[in-house]
Amino acid sequence: MKTLLAYLLAAAALCALAPLAVAHHSFSMFDQTRKVTHSGVVSEVQWTNPHVWIFVDVKRDDGAMEKWGMEFTSKVHLARRNFTQDMVKVGDSVEFTVSPYANGKPGGRFFTIRMANGRYYCDVGAAQKVCDENNH
Amino acid sequence: MLARRPLLAALAVALSANLSLPSSVEAQPAARPVFPASAEQVSYAELDRLPDWRGIWQPNIGRITGDQPVLIGEYKARYEAEQAKLKADPNYEVPETLDNCEPDGMPSMMTMPYSLEFLFTPGKIVVNQEALMMVRRIFTDGRPLPSADDVDPNYFGYSVGRWEGETLVVETVGTKAGQRLGTPGITNSDQLKISERIYLDAANKDLLHVDFTYEDPNVLAQPWHQNHTFRRDRTWDILEYVCAENNRHPLDAEGQTQADF
Repeated sequence: MKTLLAYLLAAAALCALAPLAVAHHSFSMFDQTRKVTHSGVVSEVQWTNPHVWIFVDVKRDDGAMEKWGMEFTSKVHLARRNFTQDMVKVGDSVEFTVSPYANGKPGGRFFTIRMANGRYYCDVGAAQKVCDENNH
Repeated sequence: MLARRPLLAALAVALSANLSLPSSVEAQPAARPVFPASAEQVSYAELDRLPDWRGIWQPNIGRITGDQPVLIGEYKARYEAEQAKLKADPNYEVPETLDNCEPDGMPSMMTMPYSLEFLFTPGKIVVNQEALMMVRRIFTDGRPLPSADDVDPNYFGYSVGRWEGETLVVETVGTKAGQRLGTPGITNSDQLKISERIYLDAANKDLLHVDFTYEDPNVLAQPWHQNHTFRRDRTWDILEYVCAENNRHPLDAEGQTQADF
């Protein structure tokens, strides 16, 4: 049962890093070894369960527009962290960082968002450092 | 079935006489017992003797204690196969019912990373799990625990509880096979029996203990214990969580979550 113990310890460690673990699916679909950052204009906000989504139109290097999907935890978890439905609005210019989808789809797990006024929104865990350092 | 025989006899007579059935002849349900939890006689005074579990309870994730499961047979083989896949591919996802917004039932519904709420009513305790708005009922009116074979298998099983002092002792049988048991990659058979001891911490009334014992003759060589704790929050109520509201995660043929937008 050494493998199970190792797994449980690893799972416990992961949970310790991300205390708001998702209820709905695992983090496996994200490449958590990488972060990608893009800038664009918010096209849609879906304040919903099981996940909140913010979509951003990003201009690619070749000039074409690409729709990026930022996946958050649930509306329930965000509400308890005092995130609100109008924290990011359609038309806002933002810079965002995600752990990208492992399959290459343009999007990923929310890490941080930088608003035009310099204010950051940050996920739990490691992302909090970004907010601590930039939001005064 | 005894109660149905007069009806069957009447039906046989009607059919043999080539008569249409009178409208008053309708299927009568078998006589069902009225348990105290729903009986006409009720006393709410008994609730005053129970401990205060109000508010909502949030899990201390990652602080599970207990012992290790000793798996057997096909369940051991499956667990080891899933571990091998995880080791080979960090982006592999152990397929689970929850991935498709389907409740994963007992015992997992008690340990989701969302909030629990306990509602006491005479002879019955209702447990609400915020995630996926799951509900279970624990009957505390003295009715017997059925055998697993007498329960139509369902997500949350059939739970009977009793108070030992201020500890709620619960036994559950009749859960559907194939739900998560304790950790991803381990599932239960239809012979699972779950025992719980639920109580407030002696030194901290805002800490709730739920000590689980899992027994499943098809899955486990011996009882498996897992102990979870929960923190009380009196400032929030349970929030709505409808998983079908905006599920953008269809599964592929291998049960792997995709993003659809």
